[in-house]
Amino acid sequence: MNSFIKANPIRCIGCRTCLISCVVAHEGKRIFEIDPDGYNFNPRLFMVKTARVSAPVHCRHCENPACKASCTSGAIFVKDNVVLVDTKKCIGCKNCVIACPFGAVEIVETAEVQNDGSPRKIANKCDLCVGVADSPSCVKVCPTEALALVTDGDLSQSVADKRRNAAAAAAV
Amino acid sequence: MAKNSVKEIQTTCCYCGTGCQLLFTVDQAANKILDVHPVWGRTNEGTACLKGWYGWDYLNDPQILTKRLREPMIRKNGRKSPLEVVSWDEAIKFVADNFKRIKEKWGPDSFLGAASARGPGNEAGYITQKFTRAVMGTNNIDHCARICHAASVAGSRQTIGEGAMSLSIPEIEDAEVIFNIGYNAAASHPIVARRIVKAKEKGAFIICADPRITETARISDLHLQLKGGSNVALVNSLANVIISEDLIDHEFVKAHTKGFDEFWEVVKEYTPEYAATITGLSAEDIRFTARKYASSKHSVILWGMGITQFSQGVETVKCCCSLAMLTGNFGRPSCGTGPVRGQNNVQGTCDMGDLPDVYPGYQSVTDPEIQAKFEKAWGVKLSNKAGIQLTRVPEFVIHEKDPAKRIHAYYITGEDPAQSDPDLEEIRETLDQVDFVVVQDIFWNKTAEHADAILPATAWGEHDGCYTSSDRGFQRIRKVLEGQGNILPDWEITCRIATAMGYPMHYNNTEEIWNEMIDLCPKFTGATYEKMERQGSVQWPCWDKGPGDKGTMFLHKDGRFATPDGIGILKTSPYHPPTEVENKEFPLALCTVREVGHYSVRTMTGNCRMLRNLEDEPGWVEMSPEDCAELGLREGEIVKVLSKRGSVYTRCKPTERVKPGAVYMTYQWWIGACNELTISSLDPSSRTPEYKYCAARVEKIKDQAWAKQEVAHIYEDIRSRMHIVKEEVLA
Ligand code: SF4
Ligand code: SF4
Repeated sequence: MNSFIKANPIRCIGCRTCLISCVVAHEGKRIFEIDPDGYNFNPRLFMVKTARVSAPVHCRHCENPACKASCTSGAIFVKDNVVLVDTKKCIGCKNCVIACPFGAVEIVETAEVQNDGSPRKIANKCDLCVGVADSPSCVKVCPTEALALVTDGDLSQSVADKRRNAAAAAAV
Repeated sequence: MAKNSVKEIQTTCCYCGTGCQLLFTVDQAANKILDVHPVWGRTNEGTACLKGWYGWDYLNDPQILTKRLREPMIRKNGRKSPLEVVSWDEAIKFVADNFKRIKEKWGPDSFLGAASARGPGNEAGYITQKFTRAVMGTNNIDHCARICHAASVAGSRQTIGEGAMSLSIPEIEDAEVIFNIGYNAAASHPIVARRIVKAKEKGAFIICADPRITETARISDLHLQLKGGSNVALVNSLANVIISEDLIDHEFVKAHTKGFDEFWEVVKEYTPEYAATITGLSAEDIRFTARKYASSKHSVILWGMGITQFSQGVETVKCCCSLAMLTGNFGRPSCGTGPVRGQNNVQGTCDMGDLPDVYPGYQSVTDPEIQAKFEKAWGVKLSNKAGIQLTRVPEFVIHEKDPAKRIHAYYITGEDPAQSDPDLEEIRETLDQVDFVVVQDIFWNKTAEHADAILPATAWGEHDGCYTSSDRGFQRIRKVLEGQGNILPDWEITCRIATAMGYPMHYNNTEEIWNEMIDLCPKFTGATYEKMERQGSVQWPCWDKGPGDKGTMFLHKDGRFATPDGIGILKTSPYHPPTEVENKEFPLALCTVREVGHYSVRTMTGNCRMLRNLEDEPGWVEMSPEDCAELGLREGEIVKVLSKRGSVYTRCKPTERVKPGAVYMTYQWWIGACNELTISSLDPSSRTPEYKYCAARVEKIKDQAWAKQEVAHIYEDIRSRMHIVKEEVLA
């Protein structure tokens, strides 16, 4: 099963430390030294606040990803249980943005400049920090532990617990 | 890079009063921060918010919003003449001569000192008030607690004798009932909000009284979405129910309090039905709240500026303290009162006596014995007349006709009244009319534009010392980097001015200052540097230097209050409406609030790359979707917000978290500066301004392209006034 990050809206205080940590993890520590206007601030998770909910939305790393199915350039692929975007292949067609039912993908400007002088734009989404940090960075920094990386084992455990509770309730 | 030049240094966060512990990895040879992460501390348990994690790169002077001050500067040829870079000797002499001249001509009370509740730390705070009292000879010393929690200090002192949090931050999570009123922990103190979340998970019942749906309101068991400015009516009615339904802790009230009859005289009128007409709540919710609150011996009241920044702030605080007394909720863990201080060292700056009526350690300036003690220690005659509060400076400058009674010199360390005080137009006029203004700070700010002398100081991270967290915990701060440029620690600058004025003040380090202070303050005597080092945090009172006295977790043990006779006083007042209410021309109620990623006047956080990227100028005005629809406004659109006092541009943010008729703005934006709009009416006893209520209007701007350009122009203009040259940034 693919892993994914789950937010607990009772714990989330909407502080967006997670959003910054995402940018820092992907840009590297140099971000604190370079020209303040010399990089793009593109968190891969999105803060949602309604009257009743505060929680960041991440890519679900679906088992049959709609984004992957819709990708025209073959840029979206699954590796080691993570849905990833090959930024070199991405042509910014936005199919994935439309296809994703969670709004977890967006098209962002990169620091790369194209022939016509405009910035290259590509799809951006949560990559579970594969290759950039030991654990997903947002999970690590969240001050209220509102975020958790859910893996195969965690999910079956929680489902087993729920089934046990359901059975116990039915037995009464 | 030489390997041994890399060091790990632990210090206390410079932003909010939680006092999180941060560990810096520094390359000392390169004078460069390599890494920062939170580590275990009494209040933060290894966590930090976005400011702690990512709010330090302003130290490198990235010149985003404004520029670090690097050289002393003075206006040699009088007002309006250009600021010129001079040597420290010349700057100190200039300031000392002017202070002396003004003192001789107009007397000591023509001077007012504003201490810093931010980076400089407790030792610098002690020096600032010592300078004001011993050198200038006046008690005109104050700091920004006046504009945030002075009402908590005044209201608590009048009832329970002590203005600080009675419980400590970790105790919050073990409360059974949390009554959270006018306090938005998620935005002000994320790491305190964490304790509220934990309390909820541990089964606490949370009642949140707030006109907005804050994060705490969102997870609360009951949200009392009361009308802004009706706090006193609500708390009075809670007392009314507690008394009329006999939910009182009779034993506690009898043994430890007085004033019950007078108290009842006031609150008996505030039946839930009557309070419902003022607050807009239901009488049933009010009854339920009172019963729930009184049902537990671990009930905690948390409050913030949502009750203090009203002209009835002190009254509300008094009644909150009374609620806790009526129900016997004092003197044990996880109960009591929690006025959670905003900035990192507001508690400390109060502790250090940067207040017009008390010496360090809350010792009254009008008590002859105390006066004699300080006179002996400092070797000078001291004034026994309480000083004036900094919010009254306009009154003593532009509104005072008799020059002999005016303020003529204003020494401002690490504060920016031209951004943080209400009614900025009036403040600017005031600053221009004071004969001599000294700004001692780390960044160019809006007040610096009015200064006659600019004294550049080291920032947090560039000097040693200690702060007091909001729950009375003294914690060390340590030098992480060497300050760049011709800058000095605040305490050293002030000592040099004192010495130049003929009162030698010399210390080799902050520990020497600290030791002088603790020996003069019985409540703090035990809190030595050594003990702070060993324990990490020492909560006052800590009376004894021996290792046995580890400090005090919660106050008022066994119901003994900090009043002179140890008895608490039940007190409150009748409700009256805010000073300026909505009207035809200005139909909306404007309230100022906080933005989680920015602190104070934003000179620090506005110059941190990540925090700036998360939220930037011109800020937002939060409005209800209904009000937006009526004006035809969409999210992100630039709008004009106006009050009787001025107008600003900001962006519109429709949100269901806000009720129709109310609008909210954060006060740290430089373009969307809501203090252009706020009113300077003050609470009569604490002199805290009514930031939380004034009448305003929002106007749609048809030509958005023009509006965007206009905002961009204003921004560039501010940046150039703050000495940022665009090319320089790019180079
Ligand atoms: S860091 Fe945690 S609490 Fe803050 S917004 Fe992200 S998930 Fe929510
Ligand atoms: S700002 Fe407050 S909560 Fe955030 S890290 Fe600093 S002390 Fe902790």
